[in-house]
Amino acid sequence: MASFLEVKNISKAFDGVQALEDVSMAINAGAIHCLVGENGSGKSTLIKIIGGVLKPDKGEIRIDGKLFRPGRAIDSIRRGIQIIYQDLSLFPNLTAAENISLNQLIEKGNKFISEKNVIKTSEKALMEIEEECDLFAKVENLSMSKRQIVAISRALTQNARLIIMDEPTSAITKAEIDHLFSVIMRLQAKGIATLFVSHKLGEVFEIAENVTILRDGRKIGDYAAGELDNDKLTFLMTGQKIVSTPYVRDPENLADANLLEVKNLSRKGHYRNITFAIKRGDILGITGLIGSGRTELALSLFGLNRPDSGEIVLEGRSVEINSAEEAIKLGVGYLPEDRLLQGLFVEKSIGSNIVVTIVAKLLNRLKLISGAKRQRVEYDWIDKLKIKTPSAALPASSLSGGNQQRVVLAKWLATNLKLFVLDGPTIGIDIASKSNIHDIIRDFAGEGVGIILISDEIPEVLQHCNRALVMREGRIAAAIEDITRVSESDIFDMATAQNVDQVR
Amino acid sequence: MIAKLLRRNETYLFFVIMAFSLVVTMINPTFLTVENMFDLVKSSSGMAILAVGFFVGLLAGGIDISFPAIAIAGQYIAVNTLIALGVDNLLLAFVLSCAVGTAMGAINAFFISAFRMPALIVTLGTSNIFHGALLVFVGTRAINTGQLPDCFKAFGHMHVLTLTRADGTTYGLSVFAVVLLGIIVVTWFLLKHTLLGKSIYAVGGSYESSKRAGFSINRTLFFVYSYIGFLSGIMGVMHLSLIRYSNPNYIVDTELLKVIAAVVIGGSKITGGSGTLVGTLLGVVMMVILEKNLVLIGLSSYWHQFFTGLIIVLGVSITHYQSKLQSKKSLSFAD
Repeated sequence: MASFLEVKNISKAFDGVQALEDVSMAINAGAIHCLVGENGSGKSTLIKIIGGVLKPDKGEIRIDGKLFRPGRAIDSIRRGIQIIYQDLSLFPNLTAAENISLNQLIEKGNKFISEKNVIKTSEKALMEIEEECDLFAKVENLSMSKRQIVAISRALTQNARLIIMDEPTSAITKAEIDHLFSVIMRLQAKGIATLFVSHKLGEVFEIAENVTILRDGRKIGDYAAGELDNDKLTFLMTGQKIVSTPYVRDPENLADANLLEVKNLSRKGHYRNITFAIKRGDILGITGLIGSGRTELALSLFGLNRPDSGEIVLEGRSVEINSAEEAIKLGVGYLPEDRLLQGLFVEKSIGSNIVVTIVAKLLNRLKLISGAKRQRVEYDWIDKLKIKTPSAALPASSLSGGNQQRVVLAKWLATNLKLFVLDGPTIGIDIASKSNIHDIIRDFAGEGVGIILISDEIPEVLQHCNRALVMREGRIAAAIEDITRVSESDIFDMATAQNVDQVR
Repeated sequence: MIAKLLRRNETYLFFVIMAFSLVVTMINPTFLTVENMFDLVKSSSGMAILAVGFFVGLLAGGIDISFPAIAIAGQYIAVNTLIALGVDNLLLAFVLSCAVGTAMGAINAFFISAFRMPALIVTLGTSNIFHGALLVFVGTRAINTGQLPDCFKAFGHMHVLTLTRADGTTYGLSVFAVVLLGIIVVTWFLLKHTLLGKSIYAVGGSYESSKRAGFSINRTLFFVYSYIGFLSGIMGVMHLSLIRYSNPNYIVDTELLKVIAAVVIGGSKITGGSGTLVGTLLGVVMMVILEKNLVLIGLSSYWHQFFTGLIIVLGVSITHYQSKLQSKKSLSFAD
């Protein structure tokens, strides 16, 4: 089959750091191709070069066999290459129709806009992928998966032949991923190629045909998706074997009394009749689809989402947690789903982020913050959690995703937690850091902290929790006391209510 | 259709205005007369024009507070030039005032786009520069009615529609209404039917996405702030024609708060990117009715300041609360 796009021997360096070295890749017309690699492996540099945003130092790009030298992003777009970035680059305050058709209007250089045309263009694009969407709705009111549809449709208005999607599956549910795949298949039927860019294992392999793996700016190889499995891919991406054993609570050294008991907790519209208990050293997984009530429940435990009825008992004492401040005083920590928005002061120093929850403990006799104490604590945690930074004074934004997450963990762990609720702690983090974060979580559970781990990824729950709750539509659909006795598909069925009668 | 209307801010604002007018009419039957309405249109069209400008700025994500200073600068420079040249020409006055306004708007745009600074801070500075420069280089002497070229007075009295009262005297709809209408139509067309208009929404919605989509952001910002300056220039001349007096020391800063209040109560997000022209105009109507009728319902005019502030705080809170409800629906607990 003829290649639509070929990149040959591409090299690119930034300030002496080699981001890409002699990388070649070919994408066939209508193919579904996957480009994987850890953060910093050069994936984004490569797609920016293809997209005309960056110029390679060496090497060439060919489209349909002909040499192609993009000078600006628009050159690539004109040749049918569309990049859909992770943030989708949509306008939240404009309607779906306007979002779909604006880029094409800019390209055409139209000065005036007729609403009729905008609607017609959008309808045509949606029809091509057999999708529907409320064209008059503002994009900010659409779900993440609908927004993706809008972004894909927008690409189609500009005669895309290759759509490059950066981490398309990280923010949508399993059902939505399946839906996205059916759209991709329809694109394929029209001869439009798709390049997935990902650092995540899993879903994309369901439909990808070829996989190109990058590590440290070099190509490791091209593989047929069929010849890779999780372990092999992990090894190829990281260069190291990551072995994981299921987590087992150590009953010898830990008290048997319940650390936390939740009794009949309800909040209208969020969750109903939630009852469960956690002992010290438990890692309790909570999984379920987005909207199943898991995040709302977690927020209630941290005092940010007041329950209507029910009881929370912490160490045998009935407590009411009405604010995050009270939660922290009681020894409850919460790591939010959106680390950048809610968990981190990205512009402040790494050190400040670590000590922010324990400032009261750093005071000297004059009730001022003691610089020496502060520094000791900061570097203690940087060492302990292996946060890669030359200095605690650098802003948190200078760190990679995995290291940022470690800073957030340090912030909480420094407070001497009893109960730690983690909501999606490894979302958007590469494999090596992920496994390091899992180790940290296990270590703390081993020391007697009760952990609630909320996760979308069922394998994560299976591997790192000893017990689990599956939530669906605000209720506990299943409570699993021994995680080793269930499989991934069991849990998936419980969460989605397929065959649920048999499971019950 | 009705369900759709009920979801819009404007609908509620409309009903509030109706209810308020009803109350006022019951206390004072002369309120809801054609003559009084004509009067209100005339006295408030200047403010409405400023509100349109402020609204366009908000759409692009910027809070431009320099329009009172620009309006007074345009007005004072225009009238002084006319007197110095001994020319009595309204068109020239408009051209001068608008040119000054547009130039000052362009200066704002330069700082806002070149250094990516918040419009609020830039215009806080430039409005003092503009006003200070006016006093230093042009003068501080007020122009009173006697010295005013006749064209302004004539413009202030010009009617496009004349009606006769029972006693045979006449009253009419000021030509100001036509100017305002023209500006509304042009702005509406711009926002709704031109790519430039969409780029204003786009820049206010997402700077990064605008860049990737290929919008020329600097050109958009340049247009937006120049347009605000241009409208302020028009308002300057109208204001002069209305009160027949030009005092460069009197910077129309009470207008500033009224205009902001009108736009936010009209449902525009103070953080930018969203709002409607209809909402803005309803907001202006709301503010005008409130201003003119506080005395009628037994409150001293000092209450006006109190209510203006209250409306700003309430308007921003309501809009913010609504978007918080929205984000709660999509499960993000960002604030």
